[in-house]
Amino acid sequence: MQITSAPDGTILIDGKVVTGLDRFVASVTEIIEQYARYVIVSGYVAILFGRARGTEDIDLFIDYMDRDTFRSFAEELLARGFYFLNSDDVGEIYSMLRDGLAVRIAEEERIIPNVEMKFKKDDFDRYAMTMARAVMFDDIRLFISPIELQIPYKLYLGSDKDIEDAVYLWVLFCEMLDGDLVRSFMERLHVRGEPYGIGV
Amino acid sequence: MSGGNRMELGFDREKNRQERLAFVREYAQWVRRVPNEVWSREQADLIDAFLANAGSYALSRSRYLEMHQALAKRRRPGSVDNHGSA
Repeated sequence: MQITSAPDGTILIDGKVVTGLDRFVASVTEIIEQYARYVIVSGYVAILFGRARGTEDIDLFIDYMDRDTFRSFAEELLARGFYFLNSDDVGEIYSMLRDGLAVRIAEEERIIPNVEMKFKKDDFDRYAMTMARAVMFDDIRLFISPIELQIPYKLYLGSDKDIEDAVYLWVLFCEMLDGDLVRSFMERLHVRGEPYGIGV
Repeated sequence: MSGGNRMELGFDREKNRQERLAFVREYAQWVRRVPNEVWSREQADLIDAFLANAGSYALSRSRYLEMHQALAKRRRPGSVDNHGSA
């Protein structure tokens, strides 16, 4: 993998073949970012960098939106051919977000793939948002959580799939990461990497 | 199978996990070595096939959300809503 870094810190993946999943994520986030900041977390981060697996949902956090802003966002989303799986009532969708729950966005007539979207809520979400890294390939730009947080977070989630994602990211990026930062997140999340060969 | 109604499963979960992790490490090393065009072409074939198949499931949105609700309940008891969101 050839990854280069632009002067502003953007990660460039030149030559990457764009998947249908990438196009779907880009088409949703392009609308979101007109209304709020967002950051992609979890499985799609590993997939973006080549992990060979499918996924049915893409997890992301957004900044808080007030009710009117959210209504405008939802109207544009619907006008552009997407819908909320959870309800057709935009007021209900907003209430779910306010209650700290996730809502799912998919293309009309489809269920998979979908974007699972939440308002950011805790210090880890806020860190991911504040320190988000831009990734560019082809004509697409996405914002992802720092890898230093993603590896401990995946270990914390703890399923076989999550641990495999953590190991994959570690092997790919180990020489480029801030080891102290990875260790600090591991301590805060009470997870250990050594059993999986993640030695920081 | 042994006597009576006792059954034995010859599947070693931990061994399987370690084999999968070894494969993931090997695959990541391969991705590091080859040009972006190579790993991403293989990955795109896999992901696009997955998405094409996903479109043919006869799954309603309510059934899909119910499935996720059940999964989330198993993972984190008590932290799920009626819409399948954890």
